[in-house]
Amino acid sequence: MTSKKYHMSMSPHMHRGVTLSVITSHILMALMLPAIAGVYYFGWCAVKIIVLCTAAAVASEAGMQRLMGKRIAVADGHALLTGLTLSLMLPPGVPWWIAVLGGVVAIVLGKQIFGGLGNAPFHPAVVGWVVLKVSYPGHMTSYMEPLTGGAAFTSVLAPAQLPLQIVREDLSELMLYPSWDLLMGLKAGGIGEVFVLGVILGGIFLIARRMIFWTIPVAVLVGAGGFSLLAAWVDPEVYSGPLFHLFNGGLMFAAVFLAADRGTAPVTPAGRILSGLTLGIITMIIRYWGGYAEGVYFAVLLTNALAPIFDRIRPTVYGRVKEVA
Amino acid sequence: MVAKGDSVKLGQRIAASTDFSVAPIHSSVSGIVSDVMPWPDPRGNKVLSIVIDSDGRDEWVEGVEPNEQFLSERPSKLISTLRFAGITEAGMNGVPLHVNLTPPEQPKSYLFLVGIPVLKRVHTLLVNGVDAEPNVFVRRAVLHNFTRELILGIQVIRRITGVGKVVLALSEQEAYPSEVIDPLRKAGVGLFWASDKYPSALEPILVKQFTGEEIPLPGGNSRDVGVLVQDVVTLVNVVTAVRDGKPLVDKLVTVAGQGLSRPRNVRVRVGTSVKEMLAQMQIDSTNVHKVLLGGGMMGFAQYTLDVPITKEVYAVHLQGKDQVELFAPEPCFNCGECVSVCPVNLLPNELSKFCEFGRFDDAERNLISHCIECGLCAYVCPVKRPMVHFMRYGKSEIIARKVSV
Repeated sequence: MTSKKYHMSMSPHMHRGVTLSVITSHILMALMLPAIAGVYYFGWCAVKIIVLCTAAAVASEAGMQRLMGKRIAVADGHALLTGLTLSLMLPPGVPWWIAVLGGVVAIVLGKQIFGGLGNAPFHPAVVGWVVLKVSYPGHMTSYMEPLTGGAAFTSVLAPAQLPLQIVREDLSELMLYPSWDLLMGLKAGGIGEVFVLGVILGGIFLIARRMIFWTIPVAVLVGAGGFSLLAAWVDPEVYSGPLFHLFNGGLMFAAVFLAADRGTAPVTPAGRILSGLTLGIITMIIRYWGGYAEGVYFAVLLTNALAPIFDRIRPTVYGRVKEVA
Repeated sequence: MVAKGDSVKLGQRIAASTDFSVAPIHSSVSGIVSDVMPWPDPRGNKVLSIVIDSDGRDEWVEGVEPNEQFLSERPSKLISTLRFAGITEAGMNGVPLHVNLTPPEQPKSYLFLVGIPVLKRVHTLLVNGVDAEPNVFVRRAVLHNFTRELILGIQVIRRITGVGKVVLALSEQEAYPSEVIDPLRKAGVGLFWASDKYPSALEPILVKQFTGEEIPLPGGNSRDVGVLVQDVVTLVNVVTAVRDGKPLVDKLVTVAGQGLSRPRNVRVRVGTSVKEMLAQMQIDSTNVHKVLLGGGMMGFAQYTLDVPITKEVYAVHLQGKDQVELFAPEPCFNCGECVSVCPVNLLPNELSKFCEFGRFDDAERNLISHCIECGLCAYVCPVKRPMVHFMRYGKSEIIARKVSV
């Protein structure tokens, strides 16, 4: 008998190669376009927030894992991704400590408190955003007018209101926002939210590389678009239409990067579609009738909570024996 | 049937069971029985084995005579020929072929009393020509090289079972030359183009593709939906048994991986150790870190090269250091990847967690027994959880509890 030792394990003995860090790095890549656009439009403010928020998230991940005596798994990139995602949802005018607090809250309260990756029922970045929004409503509306051509780095940004807020108060202002400008990001909004075209391209990239399930973002857009189409058809004097809503606020960003998040979205095919539709509709309900002009992140939180229920809608398992009476 | 020191001939029956569902074993060489002792088997157990030192002469045992009139033999005669030739079906379970064949004049209910299972009637013979796993090429090779035998084999099974319809499943991704296709068409064999994508060649999945019907799981058989599935390799073995009168003494095996520039098909005597086979093929095994009997998706890892190529083995895969994938019970983060690939529509993420944390009742309620252990969930798992390990663990725990109660 030979004394050489061989690896023993259960089948399979192969792997597709798409590990967690591969997925994470793809999503980070997809976030680059909106992030770069955010920096271009909002200058140093954006740089400061992105760096601080991301660093705070990574540091608190390492800290929490150390505190809980776990293996420090910062290398999987999930904390980095969470921090970056949150920073892109923040208004460019927030003070530095809001960015830091957001990063810490996202990781500590959103992820690690539940036991880390895989156990967090809510998207950590959304938890961070909602905590900030509820606690510091003033700071969290410090949106800015975007500047182009590098001016953002040299001049002081002018405060602005979200188009969603403006139109909510006076529908006639709708004329001020042509769809192309909204798509290109020439409006007030979160750092990474404004460049909607970039978000769409990022989403297409992720879907093409099969890093996210395409049904979720599509269902979100169908839900929100369909609902606002219906509302605008019922009374165009009161309700703004679908294009304005899809290209404004964080709806597109949430559809691609939050709703389709691996880990907090439902896992069954039917559940994914249903959760997407629900997310879109809840967003529109909040935007039309709710307390906030921008309700998409609250809607994400709500649908995350509903995910286990959506997962009850299971596909039929192969080979169920028909009951013979 | 033999003892230490006996001399045996090639094809001599050396072990048999009174159990109907166990195939006899034949010596695959001529030589001297050097020992009867426990020896490692592909499943990782040690089983009582007969060790034979070959004399290299390959003298056939007496009574091996070709039978040219095999196609007009009685079905029951054909079945007993197959039974005593030790022909087994494809797959690592190695079910003897005769167990799943009954002549058209049967079934008679009294057979059940003597331990012969009464089988459901089949209307279609589905011949599986698609290789079960990636990087395994035995069925492909048989299709291209043994078309004539394949057709004869189909005729034998047709005669035995009386099935009207015969359909051959071929890979839709592959081009087959007309020398392969035309004779088959002429012999009245229908063609079914199946997906080449693993695990479409596994019986439950193939039958679903073909008939649209599902085999009842667990423990169901394609006969439950009126289809008999046999692979092309088995059918060629059938012809060797009934036409040439020879028992099953060799195997077509795909050898692939570390030490080979490309996968090779070799014909190996049943019972040859992996070590001996690699030596004969002049494959250097020093850099091999993992040895698999079977393919990369469903094969069994081996702890020693002394393990023999048994009748069930259809492939030997060798992995070098950088090909060995390490799976570990990292926390599942519900990405849903396994749910989207599961061919039997289970929720592997949930099941694996149930098994991991000992919630076997929940696993059972969620139909863990329907898992066919294809391994796709682990293959796609981004944190590389050993999914099949969890499933088998859960299944065995559930069975153990039932037995102990």
